[in-house]
Amino acid sequence: MNITSPTIPWTTSDRSAVRTQSDDVRAVPAALRSEWIKLTALRANKVILALTAVIGALIAGVLAATATDPTLTASELFIYPLPLVAMLASVVGILMFTGEAQHGTLAVALAARPARWVIVAAKTITATMVGLALGATGMIAGFTGAALGGVALGSGSALTSRALWALLYIALASLIGLGVGMIARHTAGAITGLLMWSFVIESLFAPALPEGVRHFLPFSAGYRLLDAGPNFEAPVAIANQLARPQYAVIFGGYALVSLAIGTLLLYRRDSN
Amino acid sequence: MITVTGLTKHYGDRTAVDDLTFTVAAGRVTGFVGPNGAGKSTTMRMMIGLTHPDQGEVRYEGVRYTDLRHPARLVGSVLDARCMHSGHTARNHLRAMAAMSSIPASRVDEVLIDVGLESAADQRTGGFSLGMRQRLALAGALLGDPQVLLLDEPSNGLDPDGIRWLRLHLTDFARRGGSVFVSSHLISELSMFADDLVVVGGGKLLAAETVEAITARQAATVVAETPRPADLARVLAGPHVTVETTGDRLVVRGTTKATVSQLAFENGIRLVELSEVAPSLEETLLDMTGASAEFASA
Repeated sequence: MNITSPTIPWTTSDRSAVRTQSDDVRAVPAALRSEWIKLTALRANKVILALTAVIGALIAGVLAATATDPTLTASELFIYPLPLVAMLASVVGILMFTGEAQHGTLAVALAARPARWVIVAAKTITATMVGLALGATGMIAGFTGAALGGVALGSGSALTSRALWALLYIALASLIGLGVGMIARHTAGAITGLLMWSFVIESLFAPALPEGVRHFLPFSAGYRLLDAGPNFEAPVAIANQLARPQYAVIFGGYALVSLAIGTLLLYRRDSN
Repeated sequence: MITVTGLTKHYGDRTAVDDLTFTVAAGRVTGFVGPNGAGKSTTMRMMIGLTHPDQGEVRYEGVRYTDLRHPARLVGSVLDARCMHSGHTARNHLRAMAAMSSIPASRVDEVLIDVGLESAADQRTGGFSLGMRQRLALAGALLGDPQVLLLDEPSNGLDPDGIRWLRLHLTDFARRGGSVFVSSHLISELSMFADDLVVVGGGKLLAAETVEAITARQAATVVAETPRPADLARVLAGPHVTVETTGDRLVVRGTTKATVSQLAFENGIRLVELSEVAPSLEETLLDMTGASAEFASA
């Protein structure tokens, strides 16, 4: 092994320079580049993206092919796979933190950037982008699958509105996953907890709760962003629903709180 | 230079690190030794801001690690060679590290060549041997061309060629003005290139001196063989002198070969063999840390 000469001209003052708050802000793009490399270098994330497309096309396609209502269009069916896509986005969000914690690379990142909020900011931006990418993939695949399943394409203006709310839903789901991952720090625990809450606790107990309380459950609120339509809701439930921006605030509030708690714990906990 | 002042860490009722104060000088290799559970790893984690000390601080050229704008340009560290994602290739692992620390991507290939991993650059680290992981971890520490290296058991898993390279590189790094702080259980290996030692036991500082000063704490052992072991033991007896007799062989501590020779001659005791065994660093350290070892062999 040989020692090569370094190509970086650090000065003495470079090496021992004291950071300021503006230095930390300027460090966010660098941290973001690092997160992007880590995300795209993993085969598993590419598999999840492909899986999202398959799920989207398959679910919407099957619903279209078996639909008994002739007025259903692809512009409505494309959102039906999205609760599952949201779960995938949450899982990716969890893994963005717990994967690093369990492999020890979180310690490497924290040693490189002692201002821990820089790491959080980079991961938050990356998780948002992941959610948007998975959401767009799921919707495009869903729309294509529904069209191939034999239904009409439907209205363009309604499609745009639903797509934008759906992107917000998936992006927030990814952020909730990141926040839960930062709190739990353990992959199996975080994923199990999130899935149990969403598919078991909320699904089993939510119907027994008063409507006024159900609005404020995280995934019940998030699902309302999709505006699944009257086919799956009783008219009195539709009449008692909040407006979509209100559901966005509720679901977004859970994302914000989980990230805030996760950030606080990241600062307080020792990182081994 | 690294200045550690009053570093303390408690975990519940247990004090893992207790008021550690020492310096790591520039241009020297400082070994960090102590038995298992002595607080070495906790100390090193506090030195790079991963663990919050309850008291005390660590400064590099007068600046706290957590206040450095670009820590990797001053301090390179390897605390655990397993800190890499098994799904990433060696190159991508280093690319991510370089990006995080705003280090040019060109450094990635340079350090891969430095540590001899250029041919494995595009292999996933999940398939790496421990030795390869150690080399990759070292490459990560060298990315920023730092002036300080903090290494926790860096020779674990390295083959003899790798251990020799590591020893030469760390020595060269120090000779060029860098500070090296390396913990190791391989005392014999450490004694070959460390200039100074920081010895801890039970979380407390036991010594912070040069290797020569620590080795000199233990007197040489004199070995003598004689047909009259009981007579020789009698004439050698005195304050601070211990004699262990096995058959015709005596192991004497607390005196010199010249003194044993003189006393034997004066008392007409024939010596078959007389030799002096210099104290080993390992024996000296084991004596120093023996009482504070958390897990000791029977």
